[in-house]
Amino acid sequence: MAEPLVQLRGVVKRYGSTVAVERIDLDIAAGEFVVLLGPSGSGKTTVLSMIGGFTEPSEGRVLIGGEDVTEMPPARRPKTTVFQDYALFPHMSVRNNVGFGLAMRKVPKAARDARADAMLKLVGLEGFGDRGIHQLSGGQRQRVALARAIAVEPKVLLLDEPLGALDLALRRQMQEELVHIQKRLGTTFVHVTHDQEEAMSIADRIVVMCAGRIEDMGPPARIYLRPATLFTATFMGESNILPGEVVEATSGAGWVKTALGTLTLPGQADIGARVNLSIRPEQLLIGRAAEGTTSLGVGRVTETSFQGTHVRARLAMQTGDNTELLLRAPATAAPTAGSEIALSVRPSDVVLLRA
Amino acid sequence: MRPRHVVIIAYVIAVALFIFLPVVMLVLYSFQDGLVPVPPFRGFSLRWYQKVFENRKLLEAMGNSVIVGGLSSAVATILGFLAAYGLARSRPRGGNAIQYALMAPITVSYLIIGMGLLIAFNGIGIDRSLLAVGVGHVVINLPLCFAIAYSQLGEHQANVERAAQDLGASDLQALVLVTVPMLWPTLIAAFFIAFTLSWDEFVIAFLLSKFDVTLPVVIWNMLRSGLSPELNAAGTLVFATSIVLVIVVELLLARGRRHG
Repeated sequence: MAEPLVQLRGVVKRYGSTVAVERIDLDIAAGEFVVLLGPSGSGKTTVLSMIGGFTEPSEGRVLIGGEDVTEMPPARRPKTTVFQDYALFPHMSVRNNVGFGLAMRKVPKAARDARADAMLKLVGLEGFGDRGIHQLSGGQRQRVALARAIAVEPKVLLLDEPLGALDLALRRQMQEELVHIQKRLGTTFVHVTHDQEEAMSIADRIVVMCAGRIEDMGPPARIYLRPATLFTATFMGESNILPGEVVEATSGAGWVKTALGTLTLPGQADIGARVNLSIRPEQLLIGRAAEGTTSLGVGRVTETSFQGTHVRARLAMQTGDNTELLLRAPATAAPTAGSEIALSVRPSDVVLLRA
Repeated sequence: MRPRHVVIIAYVIAVALFIFLPVVMLVLYSFQDGLVPVPPFRGFSLRWYQKVFENRKLLEAMGNSVIVGGLSSAVATILGFLAAYGLARSRPRGGNAIQYALMAPITVSYLIIGMGLLIAFNGIGIDRSLLAVGVGHVVINLPLCFAIAYSQLGEHQANVERAAQDLGASDLQALVLVTVPMLWPTLIAAFFIAFTLSWDEFVIAFLLSKFDVTLPVVIWNMLRSGLSPELNAAGTLVFATSIVLVIVVELLLARGRRHG
């Protein structure tokens, strides 16, 4: 594999005695769309800011394109940023905003304007060049910020929660457009968000962060379906977490005793280990165990809520210890509140997490 | 109308009279067609204004006031802005202490500042002059200009400057191409506020001037030889200038708010 475009080597950021980022190593390949995902305070924005050069790491090195940029001021790094509040220049026209980076690179006015207009066309704002920033809607400002950042052809584009202020429909649309633009330009995108759905829909690779550490890292489907840690399992959408203990193990399987019975799961486990089992609500199957599935017993539906694409149901399991499960069923096959149903699961859908 | 409303309206009228009556009297009797600016009002005349514009001493003082006000306000605005920019962006150790030190003169009376400057200027051999008055006005207006500029250099403004640097601008380019143009209405407003304060400031101007004096000092000199509608006319001109400047400032700040 070629050398990664962006490399973080043992990067630490401390503010006084608080640790914002705890010794992170991260490689980002050229042309990759990476999303740093985590709750607020997880350190994701600090990581972005250290790549951008606006925050100096307390320890470690930052490399872009093989060059050590740790000491380099933001203006000289081969990257640009789309800021959360867009940070457009309100006293300049849209065209001059987009052309600003080129002007700093001493590109002549005519070439700069032509390039700015081409960028505006790329983000769907053809003909907006002469307008003022104050005449634009939030979504349009977002596009201008994007056009301004890509106009100088950076090696890396940093996006700091750029879609946070947009309404849901516009956010979905911009997510798609971001992906299209990224694939078309082939530029490396590093995008920060706390929205796991956004992360899954745009990323080639998700880096899940929590409390200044990288919790998990991988393609969206892997992160969602086979989370590496309890935090990732719960942060990447709803999940049923069953605490249990490994009571028996062979080379290819483990027997885990839980409140819902003993489940036989593929994988490696040590006898006596405390573990958590994660089961996504949509992976629970209604009905008794059949070929290739394991029974989870019977539960009573305590509440249901209609969610459009599916029905979300809460079940009290008949175990006597208040175990509850969340179930996601198609609207056409939804259980009704008060009814009792049997549940089962495919062992391959259950994720075994070390406690 | 309920009695409560009557009381409130009467109160508002009383307050308005208390505040505006002296000014109304000053302006009204500047048009007095007679020799003394006291009731009764004898008719409308512009001759006192003509007299003001024929009074070389008054005109000269007016010119001095414009020069002192213009230069001292420009210096106070530039120094105040640079101090605010440096403090807001480089966040030096002890930044708060520097901020308090910069704001401190606002709590000191003009008399004390004037006396202090008089003693200091004596010590370093600067004579009482318009220059000395100008320096005094920088001292009293700098805290104000600093505070106004500082209030506009918040996190959003910092982000816009970061965006400029992110796109390759040097610190100086970001300052000249982004910060100053964005703060332009604020800076002009600060300049005019400083100018109005300098324009009718008396104590420091009186203590620190000698042969060349500013308008308030000349008016005070003329007052010593008794009341005259000419003084009302001069006062009205001073007042009118201030009012116009205050309106300009309001419009500029409203523009800044709309665009910010």
